[in-house]
Amino acid sequence: MSYVALIFLPLFGSLFIYLPTRNLGGTKYITLALFIFMFSQMIALFTALPEHGYMMLGEYLPVTKFDFILTLQVDRLSVIMLLLSSVLLILVTLASWNVEKKPAAYFSLLIFFSGAIFGVFLSTNLLWFFIFWELTLIPMLFLVGIWGAEGRIYAAIKFFLYTHIASMLILLAFFLMYKESGTFDMTLIKESMLSTPVLIYFLLFIGFAVKMPLFPFHTWLPDAHVQAPAPVSALLAGVLLKMGAYGMIRLVLLLLPETSQKYAWILLTLGLITLLFAGFMALYETHIKKMVAYSSISHMGLIAIAMSALSFDSLSAALYEMIGHALIISPLFLIAGFFHQKLHSWEMKDMGGIMQKAPYLSAIFVLAGLGALGLPGTMGFIGEISILISAIESFGAWIVVILFGSLLASAYLIWTFRRVIYGQMSAKVSATDFSMHKVEFFALVIFALLILFFGIFPSSLFEVINQAFSPYLNAGGAL
Amino acid sequence: MSIALLLILPFTGAITAFIIGKISKKYAFVFAEVIGFLLFALVVNIFLNYTKPINIPLDWFTFGNVTLPFGIYIDHLSVVMLLIATGLGALDIHFSHDYMKEDPDQARYYAKILFFIGGMILLVSAKELTGLFVGWEFMGLASYLLISFWHQNNTPADAGVAAFLYTKFGDIFLFAAMGLLLYFTGTLDLQKINLLASQNQLASSVSFVIAIFIFIAAIGKSGQFPLFPWLMRAMEGPTTVSALIHGATMVNSGIYIVARLFDFYEASQALIVVAAVASLSAFIGATSALVQKEIKKVLAYSTMSHLSLAFIGLGVGSLSAGMTHLTNHAIFKALLFLSAGAVIMSARHNKDLFRLGGTYKKLTLVAIFMALGALSLSGIPPFSGFYSKDAIITASLLNPQTHGIISTLTIIAGVLSVAYIFRVWLLIFAGKPRDLELNEAITTPSKFWIALPLGIMAFATLALGFYQKELRVYITGEEVGEAHIEYLLPSLLGAIFLVAFIVYKFYKSRPDLRDNLAAQPFMKAIHRVLYNGYFIEQMITWFVQVVIIHSVAKTIHWVEVHIVDGAINKTVAMSHSIFMLFSKTTTSKVSNQAGVMLLGVFSLFVILFIGSVV
Repeated sequence: MSYVALIFLPLFGSLFIYLPTRNLGGTKYITLALFIFMFSQMIALFTALPEHGYMMLGEYLPVTKFDFILTLQVDRLSVIMLLLSSVLLILVTLASWNVEKKPAAYFSLLIFFSGAIFGVFLSTNLLWFFIFWELTLIPMLFLVGIWGAEGRIYAAIKFFLYTHIASMLILLAFFLMYKESGTFDMTLIKESMLSTPVLIYFLLFIGFAVKMPLFPFHTWLPDAHVQAPAPVSALLAGVLLKMGAYGMIRLVLLLLPETSQKYAWILLTLGLITLLFAGFMALYETHIKKMVAYSSISHMGLIAIAMSALSFDSLSAALYEMIGHALIISPLFLIAGFFHQKLHSWEMKDMGGIMQKAPYLSAIFVLAGLGALGLPGTMGFIGEISILISAIESFGAWIVVILFGSLLASAYLIWTFRRVIYGQMSAKVSATDFSMHKVEFFALVIFALLILFFGIFPSSLFEVINQAFSPYLNAGGAL
Repeated sequence: MSIALLLILPFTGAITAFIIGKISKKYAFVFAEVIGFLLFALVVNIFLNYTKPINIPLDWFTFGNVTLPFGIYIDHLSVVMLLIATGLGALDIHFSHDYMKEDPDQARYYAKILFFIGGMILLVSAKELTGLFVGWEFMGLASYLLISFWHQNNTPADAGVAAFLYTKFGDIFLFAAMGLLLYFTGTLDLQKINLLASQNQLASSVSFVIAIFIFIAAIGKSGQFPLFPWLMRAMEGPTTVSALIHGATMVNSGIYIVARLFDFYEASQALIVVAAVASLSAFIGATSALVQKEIKKVLAYSTMSHLSLAFIGLGVGSLSAGMTHLTNHAIFKALLFLSAGAVIMSARHNKDLFRLGGTYKKLTLVAIFMALGALSLSGIPPFSGFYSKDAIITASLLNPQTHGIISTLTIIAGVLSVAYIFRVWLLIFAGKPRDLELNEAITTPSKFWIALPLGIMAFATLALGFYQKELRVYITGEEVGEAHIEYLLPSLLGAIFLVAFIVYKFYKSRPDLRDNLAAQPFMKAIHRVLYNGYFIEQMITWFVQVVIIHSVAKTIHWVEVHIVDGAINKTVAMSHSIFMLFSKTTTSKVSNQAGVMLLGVFSLFVILFIGSVV
């Protein structure tokens, strides 16, 4: 099976699935089957991967004149991202099982998105990387703009414009790289000397910082999250933001190591501000989904801090936290969205006592929340402790201030539990039926089990993660 | 093998108890009780077959080049803590049979109790700070979940929030200490840290800061000044939970961690800070306990005060005094809490002291056992409480650093304990019923389910009095010459009996004297301060509400809305109007655009494809 098909089959296929099934129905089954197939392919790819370095999967559509070749290459880092994305795609499909509005179009867009995201993580040619990068925006734009809540058009446009402008900076950087090295291939650029690394660094930095997002480029995210349907929010947080983090690692930290080292303090500063700023925003928020959104941003700040430490330890920690964040924030979004769907309100004051109505759903919400505040036994704790330890190694003792972010997370999440899950039932809650479709609930259970499993047995994940960065190691553990 | 079982059984048991309880409520209890006593049997087995410390190094995970260990280390100190945790845990589960009989959520209850015991076992058998921290946080979670066990009501739910956040504030310092210790010493092994510190291989300023960080976590967990208000509010949970978690076991973990790192604390010169904070807490707890209206609040302040005494024991440099007091206190406080639970249960869940009275006839056994617990708490020989309290006061007087304010506060707290506990006993059992209707309704509790565990604990607190020397030797591992102060014992006992006499006058024979005193405006003001726990909670709440949320967070919110997002929103609003203009002229249905867009993307690809071939 050629891996290029995993990109183009969904991209083109989405249309051919949409047209016949828009009246027939059953798109979701095809979607699920396709995602499971893609996941199995990634498992196969993962097991076939050599210990270190890249594995060439093929070159397609060559326009050699200006190095416009679809080069598919993977290493551990990209396969981890692919595995994470395909797991999330499956779970998000399950969580969207009950979409009522235009299901055929909805699932076709998911399929399209999956092709684009595979393209991003598989291709090492910068131009193709960029094309796929941009293609992910299109399904997202429509998923938010059509299936979203009341203010969806505004949010979709803000999201599109913001990230699109950021993409332009990335494209500019790619052209500069091409001009200076004569190639669009990531692996070749790494070996060539760039004459203006600082300019390229900042163009890429801002481009990816918008996507991650980091302060002050984060404001598109709360709006997009709030307006997006819950499964799409999960996809945004779990996959789209991770694209930004992936880009930051692969094309900034690993491609421009010296410049990154020199300007690490910028990433560190923005990470710290993001962590605390978004933490305080979440603390002040009474809108349940905005609270989750700011919590998500705050954790991305933590990831940025880990990245800025630029060591083997800290990158491993960052990658673990990226996976943990995806698995923890997604169920929070899904459940918050479900509450809204049932109660028709985002305000926590309309909630309260949901535990009495939906105990198991509430328990998963609490579990994911405990993960977000870093309780041992969940992935959140492992992420936090490894980031803390690796950050102290690089920055010294003062960096323990990042734990203040963890305290803020405890405060806003525990207060959220109190306002939403526990306490007396509000009139609205007692009048509402909280029964959830079995398939949707199943997806949440899987999230919960993953959070616990990798939280208790993190070594199963770290074995893979550690190998992802070991090829980039020089002697002494620095990059 | 038995160690692995000891560590895993509580957690698997918790899950199983929940599932069983969902099928049949009754069997959740049976299952939990079996697990509880099985755990105790395992610990007794370890205790009897103990030859040398059990030391099992294990690794948890490796990230980058860093490996985090998760080993097991069980020495005498751990065994004592394990015996307390599982022994009292098993008795507490037994007692819960009647206490929780009518609760529809028993499955959840027993699952959480077992989870809690698991956390405690993990904490005291950890070789490294990592395992200790995991146990520490598990117990915090269990405590939060059990305090807000009756989450349908707002007060327990709020109390749970307070418990979690107050202790979490401390926990992040422990978390930080963990990171710093690994950075500065390269190890998280508790024994190695002690060793490094006692060999002076650590910069004293660094180790002092780390020691204080760990102590802040201990302050939070063990309800010391200023992080104690959560402990009082934790009384909203079931009394069985208060007995086990907030009286006898979890709150001890702060003392345990200082005792575990005792050499480190000694070397880092941080013990004096421990003693100072603890003596202040002891005083606050003892005085506030005098005026509380609820049974459980008195016991909670008393717990705070007695934990402080144990901290003072450590703080003045006597590991044996601190740890024996911890042990003795755990037993008599569990006894007192469960006795209070028996009273509360029999009196239709009334906790107000001033509605009880004259219940001796109906609750004779409970009254007798509670009296024995009270005698131990007051420090009357030959009960166990006497010996450890005496040792702590002696040590505080003999230590030149603490002789003075700290020892005075310690003595005041020690002597006042007789006042508040005797007051409680008199108000519950003696005199005439104050609320006739309630008194009518009081039922005599079951001998097997209620009186038996109380009897066992009462026996233990008395019997342990005769084994104090052995206990001290067992914990510290060496024969410690006990210092004595000639005049101390008679003067302490004299003071205790004098205070007891005053309490007897006030609450039994001459309540008019008490009322006259309480009517003085000055006394009223003092009463208010004491009743509200020196207004510490109000101050902290004010700080969080006004400073953190309504100043800092609000400002940040304003910055986000008006500055960071403000400029961007204007741009978006402009594009929005253009988009709307555009969408009016094209297809009427927005939803159709998805298909149209897909078609557009498709054609884009075709163009690209053709372009690449050409």
